[in-house]
Amino acid sequence: MRLGAPKTLAQTWKSRALAFGQFVLPFLFVGGLWELLVQTHVVTLASVPAPSSILVRMWEMATGEGILWRHLGRSMYRLGIGYALATGAGLILGTTLAMSRILREMLSPVLSLLISVPTIAWVPVFLITMGLGDRTVITAVFLGGFFAITYNTIRGIEMVDRNRVRAARTMGASGLSLFFSVLLPGSAVSILTGLRLGIGYSWRALVGGEMLSAMISWGIGKMIYQARFWNDVTAMFVGLMVIGVTGLLLDRLLIKQIERTTVERWGMLAER
Amino acid sequence: MTARRILLPLIPVASFLLAWELAARFGAVNPALFPPPTAILRQLALMHTRQLPERSLLLTHIAASLQRVFIAAAIGTALGVAGGLLMGVSRWVHRLLEPIITFLMPIPGIAQAPLFIVWLGFGDPTIITVGVIATFFPIAFNTSAGVRSIDPQLVRAARIMGASRPRILTSVYLPWSAGHLLAGLKLGWARCWRTVIAVEFVAAASWGLGYMIWDASEYIRTGVVYGGILLLMIVYFVIERTLFRTVERWTVERWGMIHT
Repeated sequence: MRLGAPKTLAQTWKSRALAFGQFVLPFLFVGGLWELLVQTHVVTLASVPAPSSILVRMWEMATGEGILWRHLGRSMYRLGIGYALATGAGLILGTTLAMSRILREMLSPVLSLLISVPTIAWVPVFLITMGLGDRTVITAVFLGGFFAITYNTIRGIEMVDRNRVRAARTMGASGLSLFFSVLLPGSAVSILTGLRLGIGYSWRALVGGEMLSAMISWGIGKMIYQARFWNDVTAMFVGLMVIGVTGLLLDRLLIKQIERTTVERWGMLAER
Repeated sequence: MTARRILLPLIPVASFLLAWELAARFGAVNPALFPPPTAILRQLALMHTRQLPERSLLLTHIAASLQRVFIAAAIGTALGVAGGLLMGVSRWVHRLLEPIITFLMPIPGIAQAPLFIVWLGFGDPTIITVGVIATFFPIAFNTSAGVRSIDPQLVRAARIMGASRPRILTSVYLPWSAGHLLAGLKLGWARCWRTVIAVEFVAAASWGLGYMIWDASEYIRTGVVYGGILLLMIVYFVIERTLFRTVERWTVERWGMIHT
């Protein structure tokens, strides 16, 4: 970590506000340009709505009956369950494979073969074997996150200093206590990378799964898919924006927060 | 050692397939939902041979997907490298595009598909466009990161020696960022492949591996669904082994940058 005068709280907020401004400005610029093109009738296609009408529609969907929240809430429920399962299973399998050389040699080629299949391609299999509802979507979410988390857990634990593990073993640590006090903290950086990739993949798999599952009626992916039947481009844009913003928030708030309370505090991250 | 590396993974795969085969044959699982692996292979073979003198259904599906992937990857790569170079060289372009790319990149292709279906209709235009977008982002992102990591001394040296701007771009920036660029190409092309397959689910008119799998699942032809996934693995494996390795040999290894 680079040493220097610690930032005051005001400075931190100022630099954060600046970063936020720099992030938002390009969108205002592009959105403004687009709005201008539509308002001045340079672009007159009915299927290209002005940003203002997209925002108005978004507002209507968010307030009023709150359709947007219902879609989003349903999606979050599926994401939560699927991602939690993926995290649990990924950590367990990853640790097991990292600790056992023979299992790793047996299974890691299989894993890399399975990774190469797009998550969405499994959805038809789930649709047939598990029905057209929530179970299929949740399984897709699970599968989306699972591989990334497993893979990065293996890598992380492999990178933990062997002497540290031996020392802990000598001092009598084994099983769960070895895992929680030595392996998990030691591989936290890599595991967090996995969690971060994982939530991205899970989120994408969720949207795809919702679009393809016929028996569900709520969910952000479903919202976009249904909009197709009325060629409702404005609603599609609302959906895409919500997907983008939520994806960004999941990454920035959730994962960043975990990072801040763990590896950053433990001084395992170089200052970025 | 190599024999061990090949044989060990075969143990779980073979025992899994054998257990599946037996369970399906003896009715422990529903063979309509989990057809035995041999039946899946037979179905694939049948798809290959059924209309053979004229054409093979199987190969037509594969060719349709590959054609889309290659077109989309080619356009997306050209745009991505150009955009990435611009972002790397100009601070303003970087400031403008970086947040937008960060925002748009995680939005899955399949979610963009309905929009492009409205604009461009079903079939190739939509599938290829979404594929181009998917390819563009990682390549532009990585190229710009590579260019921005350049040692300014090199650029100055080239300028002093009288290199023109385009020359500097092709002879200094591009080779320097080759490592980043290559990582971007891999990400971008893999993404292109996944996206094309996914979009084929919802937007393909008649051909393509994604269409084949989706169509089969609507009619509960499970053998074709599993067979399609097997084909996805095989095709990806072949592409990765041939194309990526070749590109790696052409560029980074030749320039001696593999270790950086």
